[in-house]
Amino acid sequence: MRWSRALLVFRKDLSEVVRNWEVMAPMIILPVILTVFIPAVVALVPDSMSGSGNGNLMDTIFPNLPEAVREMLSSLPEGLQMTYIMLVYFFAPFFLIIPLMVSGVIASDSFAGEKERKTIEALLAAPFTDSELLMGKILVAFAPAIGATLISFTLYTVMVDALTVGRFGFLLLPNLTWLVMILCLAPAASLMGIGATVIISSRVRGFREAQQLSALMVVPVMALLFGQAAGYIIMGPVTLAVLTVLVLVVDAALFGVGVSVFNRERILSQSH
Amino acid sequence: MESIAAEGLTKRFNGLTAVDDLSFKVEQGEIFGLLGPNGAGKTTTIRMLACLIQPSEGEAYVGGFSVRDDALRVRETIGILTENPSLYERLSAHENLEFFAKAYGVDDPTTRSERIRELMEFFDLWDRRGDRAGTFSKGMKQKLALTRALVHQPRILYLDEPTSGLDPKSAKDIRDLMERLSQREGQTILLSTHRLEDAERLCDRVMIINRGASVSVASPRELRRRATGAHVVRVGLQDLTEPLSRAAEAAEGVKAVEVKGGAFSVTLADEDYTPGLVRSLVDAGGSVMYVVPEEVSLEEAYLKVIGGE
Repeated sequence: MRWSRALLVFRKDLSEVVRNWEVMAPMIILPVILTVFIPAVVALVPDSMSGSGNGNLMDTIFPNLPEAVREMLSSLPEGLQMTYIMLVYFFAPFFLIIPLMVSGVIASDSFAGEKERKTIEALLAAPFTDSELLMGKILVAFAPAIGATLISFTLYTVMVDALTVGRFGFLLLPNLTWLVMILCLAPAASLMGIGATVIISSRVRGFREAQQLSALMVVPVMALLFGQAAGYIIMGPVTLAVLTVLVLVVDAALFGVGVSVFNRERILSQSH
Repeated sequence: MESIAAEGLTKRFNGLTAVDDLSFKVEQGEIFGLLGPNGAGKTTTIRMLACLIQPSEGEAYVGGFSVRDDALRVRETIGILTENPSLYERLSAHENLEFFAKAYGVDDPTTRSERIRELMEFFDLWDRRGDRAGTFSKGMKQKLALTRALVHQPRILYLDEPTSGLDPKSAKDIRDLMERLSQREGQTILLSTHRLEDAERLCDRVMIINRGASVSVASPRELRRRATGAHVVRVGLQDLTEPLSRAAEAAEGVKAVEVKGGAFSVTLADEDYTPGLVRSLVDAGGSVMYVVPEEVSLEEAYLKVIGGE
């Protein structure tokens, strides 16, 4: 595979993506909500965190927290305890939605969108190998997904620390759990989103259909969120490392299938 | 030297035979037309020759490279104007061409920008180079797509309906360009078209395809002659008299003489008998004003071939 050719496809697709508001809008709106709006509400209204409903959440998550965290939280008022749990644990799975969603949206546009816009034939006729085309298109979905995740995480960390350091007296983020999640699990999740979208795109004719189906990839993340809220799982570094390995296994399986369905003839026959 | 050689090229989709045992050769510098009704297999043939789809059976060599074994080399050798313009509408016209020029290996920036400018100026697109391709009219998109096909100066060009959607002047410009590319630059052109006037004017030979199979391969003139069934000439005379008609009938090789539209329509056994016919008429005192071969148009010939299938 010639990397210069894969990068040529990557740059071309990226130029298209940044001019497509249908793709860019969800990539901007969701991270802004997650990184600015939610932490601001949670951090600025600590009293709202001590209601009876949140008490249930506290009861389920608190016993599963690491010993040291429980000890540290015991010395804090209930409102701050809840703020800590929400900002450091409860919202963490949302940051897996960003790479999944961004990679899914871009990959849908890049694969199914080209078929829908009937631009695919000239591209497939150009002297690229299948692996150069596939790699270019994977990169264009992967790089912005990781970029958006890192920017969102940085903004979230700055927001959370700026809004809470006065009350807690120390910086809540980053911690090891978040670093493992952002640097290991998020890229693996992003690859999962791309692998699934490549397969979905080979079966559908349009961008929206591919996007809607790839949105189903969020379901496992929601399971993680609710699993944590219900006290079945707590997102610590070890749990996240194990999850990363599991997701990478799924990635390998998805990419195996994805490469086999990335076939010029099949793609072309679907675009008419 | 052959630019394209296809032998037994066959394509089946789910049991349906789209292209059936096509064999043909296209010489370097030749303009070879593919004619046929919708669904005849023209686009499928081009796609197999462009390595977009694999033949079910048979083999083809493009520029000496096998479409089965050297797909990348085949793609590097050809330029293709696809059925749809296939342009990236969010990118500017110039960005579209930059991308494809680089994809086809025009790596030197100076050569690339000179080539792009030369082609865009030829097609009157240079002033709109910074505009998004999506804002272009259908004709401009077609011209931009053709520019893309030519940007790397391919030895072999596949053109699928190149004058479709163009105004008469632009269509003429493209026909002139194809002639120039073929005659002066020795480029081989495989032309799929519904416009029989394009095929008649441009093609050295045409292949008529129907239901995936080759029905006839010949020059447009030969096709017209075959459709006419005999060599018929129209002889204009100052006066159409009975003695002149008898003199024509008596001339060697003449099979029939009719008076049609103020001239004699003479059916000859072969065109070689034309000078003898003229001599007989002159000897009989006739003043010959003109002699023109009477042939059916390519359209009539095409319809006759397709209708006879």
